[in-house]
Amino acid sequence: MFVTVFALIIINKAGGLIYNRTFHEGGLNKISTNDYLVLAGTFHGVHAITARLNPLHPPTNRTSTTSSTAAAAAGAGGAPGTHLTRPDPPSGLEVLETENFRMQCVTTLTGIKFLLFTDTTQANVDLAIRRVYDMYSDYVMKNPFYQLEMPVRCDMFDRKLASYIREINNR
Amino acid sequence: MAHLGPGKAASSKEQAGLRYPSNGKTIYHRPLNRTKTAELSQSSFAYLFSEMVSYAQRRVTGIQELEKRLNLQGHPIGLKLLDLLLTREPPRSQTRPLTIIALLHFIKINLWTHLFGRQADRLEKSSNPDTPDEYMIVDNEPLVNAYISVPREMSQLNCAAFVAGIIEGVCDGAMFPARVTAHSVGGKEEGEMWPGKTVFLVKFQPEVLEREALIGKG
Amino acid sequence: MVVYSFYIFDRHTECIYAKTWLPQSSSASDNNNGPTTTTTGGTLRIASADDAKLIFGTVFSLRNMVRKLGGDDDAFVSFRTAHYKLHYYETASSLRLVMLTDTATLSMRNVLHQIYINLWVEYVVKNPLSPVEHKGGAGVKNELFELGLDQFIRGLM
Repeated sequence: MFVTVFALIIINKAGGLIYNRTFHEGGLNKISTNDYLVLAGTFHGVHAITARLNPLHPPTNRTSTTSSTAAAAAGAGGAPGTHLTRPDPPSGLEVLETENFRMQCVTTLTGIKFLLFTDTTQANVDLAIRRVYDMYSDYVMKNPFYQLEMPVRCDMFDRKLASYIREINNR
Repeated sequence: MAHLGPGKAASSKEQAGLRYPSNGKTIYHRPLNRTKTAELSQSSFAYLFSEMVSYAQRRVTGIQELEKRLNLQGHPIGLKLLDLLLTREPPRSQTRPLTIIALLHFIKINLWTHLFGRQADRLEKSSNPDTPDEYMIVDNEPLVNAYISVPREMSQLNCAAFVAGIIEGVCDGAMFPARVTAHSVGGKEEGEMWPGKTVFLVKFQPEVLEREALIGKG
Repeated sequence: MVVYSFYIFDRHTECIYAKTWLPQSSSASDNNNGPTTTTTGGTLRIASADDAKLIFGTVFSLRNMVRKLGGDDDAFVSFRTAHYKLHYYETASSLRLVMLTDTATLSMRNVLHQIYINLWVEYVVKNPLSPVEHKGGAGVKNELFELGLDQFIRGLM
């Protein structure tokens, strides 16, 4: 059972679509570039809301459901505000599952979102998305002609990405 | 300057002044990097080079001017490397190249190994009888271009112009004045295999060829 | 497995039922924590009215996005963040059931389906006193439904 990668979308920190590419025909519906732009914007908003919807307030001691951490929290009360002030790492939507596909989202520390659409088997998507991020940092960020936050048009990135995904899809 | 030779250094030990290690190796014989494999971070270089290209790109009007600036950034490096690499040669081969072929071999082997950890891929002489002054050094995937995608509207640009500048520096330093330019040839015949293939075109000044001809006769 | 909360939205997008199962120890520890975090126990409950709107917005946007990409027959099943997992089930009559659980929980599709069949249909739809439209949650909060739901969820945990 190996995963098939359908498509990749990259969204910049302002919610703009900077890259989208389909690797496997028939996995997802074909939609226009304009629709992709709308989709990126919508997802960006939804992602921010899902981060706020955490049912376990406050997010700083979210593991306090067990008695052991409750004791730890009480212990930390002795030195108030030492670790509570630190902002939580980004925690919005990470995996979306539907009947026909699965979408994994990785938000980098710089706020860029990588959305990888695959079929519903869950084999090593983490690894694949990590590799895509590596390639992005190599062939996009180290390219002197790339302007930050702008659409990605780098031949080298396209080429390396295509060959990596082909390798996955042909296994 | 009597105590410059390593032999003399031993006898003049009591004397104050410049002293040489007994094995004759000075600080210039050692790379700064002491690790066994002499590794450098390719990422650091890529970011640095990326900034160098961006810097060169400021206030330029055309691609030629941009390549010229990159070339100028490389030129002094070539001049200095010639000295350094010759110093590191074993004493008996410590002469600067005297013929074009020797010079190009020095570039293909010594310079390339020092800079990129491998030799250049090929050395060619122009087959065109009109341009006997042109030689070509071929690199299938230049290290400086490893992460660079040139935008379509600047397709004539090759950032390896920087390396061309280094080569030009070496040639100039060895008294073989030349103009060196970098050209992308990937995407043509063998393009699929090496999309980043680059040819460094070395065009020597006429006086170099004249001298070469004279040496050949002698 | 921990269930945090459960929501029902009717076809007019109104939240007609919301219930939360709070982890007891968390509010207890908050009380011990001194003045820095005393308000947190309260925000959970107050936030839930607001949360219902946010949850509906999220679910609705995602559902449209999924239909656009996966085709009209595709349905969004769940999503997960680092802190919780949201399960979604939509009936043919556009009734939408949403449940928030911890991240380790597997698919709750069947559970939501059972809630619909065994509780909603039995105690709300078949209840002669319940109105057809549940404006403001009218007719949903009857004793049998609430009790049945609570028992069912606690049985899962």
